Amino acid sequence: MPKILVIVPFALDEEGVARRKNQLEAVCLDPQSEFHFRPVKAGPTSFMSPHDWTLMDLAIFEAGAEAQAEGYDAVCIDTMSDSGMAALRSVLDIPVVSPGRASMLFALTLGSKFSILAQWPPAIVRYKKAIAEYGLAQHCASVRSFDIPPDFDALLDGKQESAFPKMLEVCLRCVEQDGADVVCLGSTTMHQAAGWLAERLPVPLINPGPLTYKLVEALLALKLTHSRVCYPRPQVPKLSMLHAMLDAAAALSPAMRPSAVAVKSPPPEK
Amino acid sequence: MAKVLVVVPFPMSEENRRAREAQLGAVQLGPGIEFHFRQVRAAPANYTSEHDSVLADVSILDACKGAQDEGYDAVCIDTMSDSGLAAARSLLDIPVIGPGRASMLAALMLGERFSILIMWDRWRHLYRKTIAELGLGARCASIRSIGIAPDNQALLAGKENEVFPLLLEAARACIEHDGAEVILLGSTTMHQAHGYLAARLPVPVINPGPLTYKLAEAALALGLKHSRKAFPKPLVARAGMIDAMFTNLGR
Repeated sequence: MPKILVIVPFALDEEGVARRKNQLEAVCLDPQSEFHFRPVKAGPTSFMSPHDWTLMDLAIFEAGAEAQAEGYDAVCIDTMSDSGMAALRSVLDIPVVSPGRASMLFALTLGSKFSILAQWPPAIVRYKKAIAEYGLAQHCASVRSFDIPPDFDALLDGKQESAFPKMLEVCLRCVEQDGADVVCLGSTTMHQAAGWLAERLPVPLINPGPLTYKLVEALLALKLTHSRVCYPRPQVPKLSMLHAMLDAAAALSPAMRPSAVAVKSPPPEK
Repeated sequence: MAKVLVVVPFPMSEENRRAREAQLGAVQLGPGIEFHFRQVRAAPANYTSEHDSVLADVSILDACKGAQDEGYDAVCIDTMSDSGLAAARSLLDIPVIGPGRASMLAALMLGERFSILIMWDRWRHLYRKTIAELGLGARCASIRSIGIAPDNQALLAGKENEVFPLLLEAARACIEHDGAEVILLGSTTMHQAHGYLAARLPVPVINPGPLTYKLAEAALALGLKHSRKAFPKPLVARAGMIDAMFTNLGR
């Protein structure tokens, strides 16, 4: 019975984690596989600045660093940013799958150019950075946003009527104007819209969270994991230091509800 | 008097920190500018794994997150990995300079192709990341290693006779076999070899630490700093949380 750890990138309460867990419903999974969702202990409240990315890397790394010792067979990271993926791969031998890199590469198995649907303009810079890092710029038709501030806790709950048609319109622009032959949802927080959009689009739509669950099953079945040459182990692991850091951070800000701050607009630029 | 904070990426003894500060001696710096070296409160043992990179990013961010409030006018980060650079830029409105990105771009002001000279292969990932981010793959002639484990504390002291000739030989191979027109030292910890190499090589050799000091001076003199569009501020800065992570933390 393979056990898979899914790391939720915000310190959500049970209800928030349950909304993330609903992603499991979108895909037919091996009845043998068990997916356990675990939120990080602490982290940034939003996700639009290098400050946030640094903290997110650290928080996700900490949440999954002991996964192998805990008896997990694989790790999924529930954020398109791929935060913490490289660090986790450096300390774990079990597969670590993250949806950003995975969606882009998987899109290229289905078509030759992909577009990414971003939530709002401040999110775009992070995708551009990832695309450059992965060397995929020539395969990316566009990154477009539907311009509604994200809510990392409630996700798209209650916004179906306002958000879904806007998302569709932007996806169609990616296909018709930019030449995308596959569209990637830019965030696992958009999963509630995936079915609705997929029915209405003329090209494949990638729902990133469920993709990672299937990829994990595939890697386990094929007995494949990341290359140790690409992700060398640390010579001196400092995992107890890492845990102490996040425990100190969690003691400072318990029971975070990111929705309380995430919907604010960015401050005016100076 | 302009004050520049130089973040040293490892905790170390007074004596070893002075070996870092000796980089100031390699370059003429204007009057009216002061460089203060500050080491991080905790760090990975070295920079050989993604495990290390994540810890390096956050420890360097911790060391310079308050620089502006403390009255500093600019920050230099004393590591070619540029660890913490993007995060520090997102928090601070003063110039923040990292030698990795800066030395590659400076090299391209002096020639069309550069090579990076490194101590050992376990550093390769550091440069690959910056090269990919900047899209400079075609401009990098090679990365050559001499296969000797670095010492981020004592640097090259006592190893001059062993290491300097090997560096020279590898640098010549970069130029003759790989087509390098400029050589970058792959680490600020190699600065003690710079004079020796520069005197013997037919192409420019970039000494990354001193380059950042001059670039900090230039940024201040020109009134330029990073683009807020490229390095957006966080909606909610968690400086207090980062501080808590490093308070009461043993090494």
